[in-house]
Amino acid sequence: MVRHKFAVIALAVVALGTGFWELLDLVGASNRGVDFGVAAFESRFDEFRATIKPHSTFGYVSDNPPNDPSYLSEYYLTQYTLAPAIIKSDPNEDLVIINFHTERPDQAAMHALNIVPVAVYGHGVILCRRAAQ
Amino acid sequence: MSVAILALVWLMGISAARILMPAPYNWSLQSGLLLSAGAGLGIGIASSLYFLVLALAGPNLIVLASVEGAVLIVLVAFAVLVKPAAALHFAPGQPAPTYLTALVIAAAAIAVISSILAYMSKPHGEWDAWSIWNLRARFLYRGGQFWKDAFTNQIPWTHPDYPLLVPSIVAMTWTLARAESTAAPGIVAFLFTFAAAGVLISTVGILRGKTQSFLAGILLLGSASFLVIGTDQYADIPLSFYIFTSLALLCLADRNSSSLRLSILAGIAAGFAAWTKNEGQLFIAALILARILALYLYSDRSGLGRRVLSLVAGMIPPLAVVAFFKLRYAPPNDLLSTPPKQALAHLLEFGRWVTVLQGFFIALLRIGGFLIPVILFLALYWYLIRFKVEETLRTSVATVILALALMLAGDFAIYVLFPNDVAWQVNTSIERILLQVWPAALLAFFLAVNVPQLVSVAPPAHKPKLKKSKAS
Repeated sequence: MVRHKFAVIALAVVALGTGFWELLDLVGASNRGVDFGVAAFESRFDEFRATIKPHSTFGYVSDNPPNDPSYLSEYYLTQYTLAPAIIKSDPNEDLVIINFHTERPDQAAMHALNIVPVAVYGHGVILCRRAAQ
Repeated sequence: MSVAILALVWLMGISAARILMPAPYNWSLQSGLLLSAGAGLGIGIASSLYFLVLALAGPNLIVLASVEGAVLIVLVAFAVLVKPAAALHFAPGQPAPTYLTALVIAAAAIAVISSILAYMSKPHGEWDAWSIWNLRARFLYRGGQFWKDAFTNQIPWTHPDYPLLVPSIVAMTWTLARAESTAAPGIVAFLFTFAAAGVLISTVGILRGKTQSFLAGILLLGSASFLVIGTDQYADIPLSFYIFTSLALLCLADRNSSSLRLSILAGIAAGFAAWTKNEGQLFIAALILARILALYLYSDRSGLGRRVLSLVAGMIPPLAVVAFFKLRYAPPNDLLSTPPKQALAHLLEFGRWVTVLQGFFIALLRIGGFLIPVILFLALYWYLIRFKVEETLRTSVATVILALALMLAGDFAIYVLFPNDVAWQVNTSIERILLQVWPAALLAFFLAVNVPQLVSVAPPAHKPKLKKSKAS
């Protein structure tokens, strides 16, 4: 019976210890106010989102380096935020969403992509269109 | 509002489960099973109806509410009218010690608080939730007449061929509530995570008794990665719920092989696995094959055809919805589109086998996200308490083990054959692949292992009458 008790208690301690550890982690994270920031990211697009119609397609350009993980996560979040519009990670669409992290857009970058601003929504969010060739 | 709608969905599932698993109205362990299995069944039924209404009648709130409401009323009516059978209780055996009851309550409390905190810090879920599942729900709900844009090939990284159980139930809740809220996917994730624990505790309790069921429950509720992936709103936990529930119901069906109702219910649950993720379609094939083998090897072969057919009959309605979606709307799957020549080249590449084997081995050590590899503790537990599969449970244990083995073999083959970057594919998914089978693996373990002796068995008492006679 001692063997059995030991086996049961060992299993229960591992399970409860893990659960409790996870709980402490979450309590710590909530006290630190750690937030991945989907809601915060979405709020940057609030004004633009209100103008979006279903079945529309936009290109997407960001000032995040393309190899940086933040590029992909912010692109995916932009699609999540702006659904049901379709957002392609491609500057060669007629309408292109600019997701910059500065209030002053990089004019040279936009010129290089052959796009011009149509509307500025703040927080670095700009709607552009292709410039006439 | 989301809470009220999902409560009605739950009632729909409980009713459907009660029709095929009639229970008396007074509380028994079977009530726990009905409540837990009903959560997933209701979500499966409601999401299928939502998709069919959307496909056949467009985004029409009145039609959707009428269809969902009518099905709910019919199911509740049948569930009320069905003649109750004898209730299922804990299998007889030694009583569970009080501390074990306290531990399972503590594990449940910790898990519930953790899940609520995790939801509060990430109400939109994690990466896959907002890049696949909730994104698709937004397309379905916000898209109006253009809801089919959810399956556009222009954004292939959203995996537009993935089945729609999770996005559909979320979009259905938003549509009926007429408001988009993170509560809907949050509650759905919570229901699946804890319903799995409920089904595990009830099933093991009915088949092996209170001590085994509490231990199994403590282990699942303490599985950090199971809770984390659940509250992250990934579809792997709903899939694991359906895989596990179908196997659990088959184990219960084996107790009374003359009744085919539980096999039909198991088939429905398995069908919903295929409606949740593409791996669910692999599970369907694995389950049918495993069931045939288990019945052939360990059971009365005369009933094999009837029992397998009842399982398949249950699968048909959900699989019809999956087929309709796949044939009509879904683009081809990216992995399965690999040309045969390339797949053959992958097969002959030794390094890929090593990568996948290594991935499985490491994931096995990490399964459940425990502080210490739980697999080692289970091995120790096995050594100390030993296995002894009861005669009556052989078919059930064989069904579960064979289904899981075939499923994992299929996953292994997919890793070796299809992805171009196998290391990336393994690293990003293998832990979730193993979590999909984790509750079912726990079921097999606790059905097979001996019941631990935790309470002293009193020596046979002297017969007082004999004593008296001796004294006199």
